Amino acid sequence: MTIAAASPVQTRPPDAGRPLLEVNDLVKHFPIRGGLLGRRRGVVRAVDGVSFDLHAGETLGIVGESGCGKSTAARTIMHLIRPDSGTIRLAGKVPGTAELSLKAFRARVQMVFQDSYASLNPRLTIEESIAYGPGVHGLAGDEAIRRARRLLDRVGLDPLRFAGRYPHELSGGQRQRVNIARALALEPTVVVLDEAVSALDKSVEAQVLNLLLDLKEEIGLTYIFISHDLEVVRFMASRVMVMYLGRVAEIGPTDALYDGGRHPYAQALLGSMLSMDPDHRAEQAPLSGEPPNPINPPAGCRFHTRCSFAEAVCSAKAPVLAACGAGHSAACHMADPGSGHSRAQAA
Amino acid sequence: MSGAGDPILEISGLTVTFTAGAKPVRALDGVDLELARGEVVALLGESGSGKSVTLRSILRLHPPRKTRVTGSIRVDGIDVMALAGRPLEDFRGKTVSMVFQEPMLAMDPVYTVGQQIIEAIRQHEPITAGAARAKALELLSRVRIASPERRLDAYPHEMSGGMRQRAMIALALSSRPKILLADEPTTALDATVQVQILLLLRDLQRALGLSVVFVTHDISVAVEVADRIAVMYAGRIVEIGAVRDVIRGPRHPYTIGLLSTRAHGGRLTGRRLPAIPGSPPDLANLPPGCAFAPRCTLAVDGCRAEVPSPVTLGPGHVVRCLRTGDTIDRMAAIPMSADSKD
Amino acid sequence: MLASVTMDSAGVVLRSSGYWTTVWRRFRRDPVAVAALAVIVLLVLVAILAPWIAPQDPYKGMTLRRLRPPGTDGYPLGTDELGRDMLSRLIFGARLSLFMGVTPVLLALIIGSAIGITAGYIGGFVNTVLMRTIDVFFAFPSVLLAIALSGAMGAGIANGLISLTVVFIPPIARIAESVTTGVRGLDYIEAARASGAGAISIIRHHVLGNVLGPIFVYGMSLIAVSMILASGLSFLGLGVRPPEPEWGLMLNTLRTALYTQPLLCALPGVMIFITSISFNLFTDGLRSAMDIKA
Repeated sequence: MTIAAASPVQTRPPDAGRPLLEVNDLVKHFPIRGGLLGRRRGVVRAVDGVSFDLHAGETLGIVGESGCGKSTAARTIMHLIRPDSGTIRLAGKVPGTAELSLKAFRARVQMVFQDSYASLNPRLTIEESIAYGPGVHGLAGDEAIRRARRLLDRVGLDPLRFAGRYPHELSGGQRQRVNIARALALEPTVVVLDEAVSALDKSVEAQVLNLLLDLKEEIGLTYIFISHDLEVVRFMASRVMVMYLGRVAEIGPTDALYDGGRHPYAQALLGSMLSMDPDHRAEQAPLSGEPPNPINPPAGCRFHTRCSFAEAVCSAKAPVLAACGAGHSAACHMADPGSGHSRAQAA
Repeated sequence: MSGAGDPILEISGLTVTFTAGAKPVRALDGVDLELARGEVVALLGESGSGKSVTLRSILRLHPPRKTRVTGSIRVDGIDVMALAGRPLEDFRGKTVSMVFQEPMLAMDPVYTVGQQIIEAIRQHEPITAGAARAKALELLSRVRIASPERRLDAYPHEMSGGMRQRAMIALALSSRPKILLADEPTTALDATVQVQILLLLRDLQRALGLSVVFVTHDISVAVEVADRIAVMYAGRIVEIGAVRDVIRGPRHPYTIGLLSTRAHGGRLTGRRLPAIPGSPPDLANLPPGCAFAPRCTLAVDGCRAEVPSPVTLGPGHVVRCLRTGDTIDRMAAIPMSADSKD
Repeated sequence: MLASVTMDSAGVVLRSSGYWTTVWRRFRRDPVAVAALAVIVLLVLVAILAPWIAPQDPYKGMTLRRLRPPGTDGYPLGTDELGRDMLSRLIFGARLSLFMGVTPVLLALIIGSAIGITAGYIGGFVNTVLMRTIDVFFAFPSVLLAIALSGAMGAGIANGLISLTVVFIPPIARIAESVTTGVRGLDYIEAARASGAGAISIIRHHVLGNVLGPIFVYGMSLIAVSMILASGLSFLGLGVRPPEPEWGLMLNTLRTALYTQPLLCALPGVMIFITSISFNLFTDGLRSAMDIKA
């Protein structure tokens, strides 16, 4: 089965320079151990050939359902999990090598996690938690605390009232602001937000989203925004990547995808958004069944078992990420002229 | 909606206080709610709103020694607060049954799904095991589970999330209840599965004429299933009305705030969201007067002095607010209906 | 949410309660636990001040006055089988008994935590090797293991201490590994790794603070067991040797008077009982106080 590498040309908007972050063919499998001696019984193909570019100053949204691998991909990019294969480049340099140490990479790419409470050490005060990272990178103790207090102010928490508090004394929204401050303490260029607002009440979520937008403008950050909430991603992201079973299904500008993606799964997923209009209620589920297991994914195109347009070629050959518009690609035989699919437009 | 006369569920003056902790926590304060036969009412709210507490009170699920409950709940004429012992057991599950958010937690992991459904059926009806199994099979097909024969003998952990939720719904419907309570049944599901389950619930509700109380924190879900929406905040219903009235003409500042936040749909991209300031209320330290006042841009002194009484603004549209004079057409600035879909 | 912050009128935080301050405040509200703590403190004071408060010399006895019942003139709690004053022997016995109870646990805490935290943090192969080795020792019932080790090494306080320490290392290592593994998976460890910190820094700043608490409490609950085991060893002739006053040893030597002076016989046992139950109640109270649900 061929897994074609996506050429960066397909995913880059026409006028951009070199991408800030380049991910090529990222693969991460988790072995399943069982039996007496714990021998390998199978693999969970969590991330199975993901490629995309991230451009400076944009917000790339990543959406997908259970088992699609978006969280694993994020953690692999952060090098919290070691990738099995594939390359990651930050401004052209590979982290973990002589040109860019892992520690230096970490200072430039930070992450905000979903669980605001588990993300903070319950034994440290808020300012100690924020000052920890800079301390690790050599900033003197009191200078680190000063930076922590400045950041608290920046995220809307009065340092006089909050610096000396403990995580359990704060509300969920306040804790998430602390997590954002902590992520910014190392002065990164890229921030990965992994379901960062998902656990918050809607009224608080809007405040935090506004804060994220303000910070992005002021500091000039680049975001990777992972979420299962399609409405929020539509609001936040300039480009969106849809993942399915460890692979990229479609990637392109937000409007292009939300107005009608080219990949049948992307269409179904985005078509599952509810209308908010009592006179236009959903009449039919765009997709039946459930996402299959990442342990034994279908051959060829991962989605062909649930796709109403599937043909013989779909189970035989995995599709390439083919360009279907400016900065817009879909991994579907229908979008790839010359794939052999009856609906593929001739080149 | 069936035109039958009296409501199937009448909650009046329901107040629930939890006395276990250092300070008593008043989770519900004088909730009044009626459910007509065959109607679906959505309870919409965030954390601390009291929506789940309301559901649990209907089934009398709170530990009696740590909870103080006053007010009345009547289901089809039965006084629920007066039930005890065997009649209470019969009430739970047979007259009123519940679908939970997390099926893995609500189902027993050591029994197969079939065994649990059969047990539920036989508890409320004297039939043989074979007949019960046939019924269980029929129920599973009804909730559109593929290969129901095999699923009957499956354990909960062997099923996917959506299938477990369907099985949970089957379990809840096995005793042919008059009222179905749904506590955030789709919150834990993926988007594509959520649509399937919502459609299923809607179809079943129509086919069986069920009366449903549906709890959710997601407005779009409420809009999909409900005939009426009750918005809850800090243990009170602050706005209730027909779904079109509440969504297109909200009159309580909190409802307006929630809907404005939700109205992004791409139109607000690049701008900032209209956000409700402040944090959700602390139920152990509620202010006197309107609980939303600290976060409300329209609040005046009268709001902080005492809890606003319900004001009727239209047929069935009731709001607890002193400032409804200033909330007409606040939503007009933000377009509400979604882009037309193909 | 715990409102354990003191603020002045301007909302400025004057003093934010740390974890242990909050734990102490919660602990104070439990009368049983506080009483247990008071008893422990009292026993420790008795042990420290023994030379000054004991009325007589615990080693000197007159055979003529052996086995006098409690309430005898000059001997408030009677005399033992060699005519020594029971009260003085019990007071001095507190020293050795507490010492034999606390020291092995303290040593085991240091060694066991080191093993367990390392195994828990590194995980994988190292964890397997360390913990399965520990399991081999864990497989032996503690009493048997203590007796076997003491028997092999010979009687005496030092050998008794060593064998007891070895007995307690496996359970402590297990708890340490389990708690560390739990903490290891939490997001704040991931966040610390994501900020570029090395393993040592992470263990020092993030793991230890969250892990030593539960390990310590578990260790404290072992003190009572250690005392009883030490007493048992002395009773069997291992561990402490006569004429040292130690409660377990006293139980052994007073055996012969069981039918003639049962009250005398029971006294050292009563002291063991009071001490171990105080430690147990204290650790129970401490554990509840530490279980803060935010």
